Order: sequence, then C-alpha cells, then structure tokens
Amino acid sequence: MSTPLRVVHYVNQFFAGIGGEEHAHVGVSVRDGAVGPGRPLGQAFGDEAQIAATIVCGDNFMSERQDEALAEVGRALDRLHPDVLVAGPAFGSGRYGLACAHVCRIAGQRGIAAVTAMHPENPGATTLRREVVIVPAGETAASMPAALAQVARLAVRLARKETLGPAEIEGYLPQGRRVVHDRGRPGHQRALDMLLAKLHGRPFTTEVPYNAPEQVAPAPPVADLTRATIAMVTTGGLVRKGNPERQSAANASRFHRHSVASLESLAPADWEAFHAGYFNHIVNSNPNYILPLSFLRDLEAKGRIGRVFEWIYALPGVSTPVATSRELGRAIAEDLRNGEVDGAILVAT
Amino acid sequence: MISAIYNFALTTGANRVVRGARIEHVCGDPGLGPEKDYAYGMRIVTTALGAIATPVTRPTLFDPLESTSAQEAVHAS
Repeated sequence: MSTPLRVVHYVNQFFAGIGGEEHAHVGVSVRDGAVGPGRPLGQAFGDEAQIAATIVCGDNFMSERQDEALAEVGRALDRLHPDVLVAGPAFGSGRYGLACAHVCRIAGQRGIAAVTAMHPENPGATTLRREVVIVPAGETAASMPAALAQVARLAVRLARKETLGPAEIEGYLPQGRRVVHDRGRPGHQRALDMLLAKLHGRPFTTEVPYNAPEQVAPAPPVADLTRATIAMVTTGGLVRKGNPERQSAANASRFHRHSVASLESLAPADWEAFHAGYFNHIVNSNPNYILPLSFLRDLEAKGRIGRVFEWIYALPGVSTPVATSRELGRAIAEDLRNGEVDGAILVAT
Repeated sequence: MISAIYNFALTTGANRVVRGARIEHVCGDPGLGPEKDYAYGMRIVTTALGAIATPVTRPTLFDPLESTSAQEAVHAS
C-alpha cells in the first residue's frame, strides 16, 4: 500500500474545543494530528489519507484581522506542506464559512489542493464559490457525517491532482465554469430522452439548469416624498451628445455618472442614447423618456418631492452578465447611499 | 423601476415595478402629441414615486393606466 496522503485540517476555536463566542478572539495555532471533527474526518479517510496537523483560529480574529491571520495560516501551510487542506465544515456559520473559504483560497494560491463544506447560502459560499471547492452541507452540525464523507472523497481526489467532473455529479457547489467534455450520446438523443421522461413523469436532470433570480428584500417605503431626495438611474444607455466618455453600446463593464445640478430637462442637443438593444431614435428626440429629469424638476418646483439628486447614473443594460450587473448595481446603490438619497427611479429600456 | 417589459422585471425579482409605455419611449408616448405625451410621462413618474412611498413584500406591479391607485399612492404621501 502507498503512503497515506498528508492532510492539514482547519477548524475554528469552537470545533477545536477552546470555547464559543467568548474565545472567538484567539489567534492562529497549530496542533499535531486531528482535533474535534478531524477525528471522524480521519475515519472517513480510512487508510488513504492522514491528518498530520490542525490549524486553529478564532472566528473573530480571522474576520477582524484577516490579512494577519491568513498570512500566519499561509506560513503554517508552507511549513506543513500538505497534499491537501480541508477546512470546516462550517455549516451555516457566516464568519467560520468565510474563514474556511479564505483559507482554501490561500492554499490554492500555494498550489495546495483544498476543499471545504458549508451551507450553500453561507457568505463564504456566496462570495468564494467560484474560486474554492465547496461541498454543500446543512445549516447545522447535524449534517456533519454526510459532509465529512463527501469532503474526504473529494479531498483524496484533489490531493491526487485528479480533475473533478461537473459539480452536480461530483457533489460540490457549481463554480460557474464551462468545461467541454463528451457526454457519450448526441444532444438530440439526450434531449428526446428528457422530453419523454418529462411526459411520463419520470425524473430527469437538465443540462441547462435554471438559475433562479436572487430575491432582494424590498426597501422600506419613503416616509415623506415632500422631504425626500430622489435620484434617477437608467439602463437606456444615456450619454452626452457624441458619447465623449466612450460608453460601450452593450455588455457594460462600468456605469457613467453625470451632474444634472444645473439642468431643468435633458435637451436632445446635449444628450442621446447609445445602446445596442433598442431603436434609439425616439429617445434621441427626447432623452427624458429614459431619464425623467423634466418631470422630476416640475414635481420638485411644486413641492411634491424634496429635491432631485445632483447625479444621474447611466449604462447600457444589454448583454451584461448577471454577476457584472450585480456589481454595477451595488456600486451605484452605495453611491446613492453615500449621497443620502431617499429613493431612486430606475428606468429600464 | 419603470419598464415597458414589466413582466421581466417582476419575474427577475424587482420589488416595485411601474409599467412603462414602450421600450423605445419608456416615460411617455410621442404619438400622443406634446401635451398628452407629457401628461402620460408625468403619470408614469408620479406612479413611480407612489411606488417608492408604498410598502411592498414581494415583486409588485404599479400600473399608471389604473389611475386611482397611482393617484392615491402619490396623494397619500
């Protein structure tokens, strides 16, 4: 039999048996062999792998002094040179999940295979699932045995430098990567098999999973419009005449911010639309169709709203990946919040 | 959010959706002539303001063509 693979395990202060929240500030330490959940993990490995050491860090220390903590974990990994790092499982615990994901990330930067497990909605998974192999686990430690068995299986394969197959087959969270491979049977046969299964009420697995849109908690209503600052955002590709900022006509990678502090209305001599997804000509005759400044100025003058926010935000909302859109939206929202805006009107073409 | 393809907005999770006129002229309709065009645009915009002053729990459509709700929502604030 070959030498067992060398595993380093990362756990927080709670699973290391140091204590709960009152000990979450403890720094990074390294112990020989398996600790806490490392023991059943070791059993799941059988003869194939052995936990050489356990790195422990308090969740608060890791989240509040992340650079320092990760640097120290990195030095420990350099010293311990494992074949694979296992972190967690972190279940539904947010700080622990982020810690596990970051520890896996820095192991990966060192060429060390790494895997962790946590609930799919753990912030560690939502922020780093593209970079880190994450086994989906339940919200609580009740799902420990299943999570450890799966983590052990993937850890052994990753340690042997094997390439993992598709996420839904191998049992980790999808990383949003497309890999070309041969499914054995041509597409029309697979599609007809699926259709027949669907018609007969038999189970089948789609090859093009539907990504349900993110649910966003509704913002509370504006309490008093007559005292509110109202901002305007458009995905209609509004640009200054001639597009001096050189906005793209599609697939936006940035948004554009313009001051309307001195304007009563958007004049067609000064503004136009640059957007590859609709017929721009009508907006070019009246840009207020996609950014209703003229209307809001009227309402401002009549005292129906407090004031119009000085800045407007524009981008062409067409052919943009959801992930990019999310980041652009987040950045605009942050800008609005910093400007103490109470409400925003987004016009989408 | 004001959109002429308001069903897209609702099914992709926008919480306050206002029905716009057309993709090519969301806030108004040049075919109505200048006065009515402006009145229609104003109705869409005031409906949007009414929407942000109204509590919602899930993706909800505010339709400027259903005049009462739009006007009340604005006046109530």
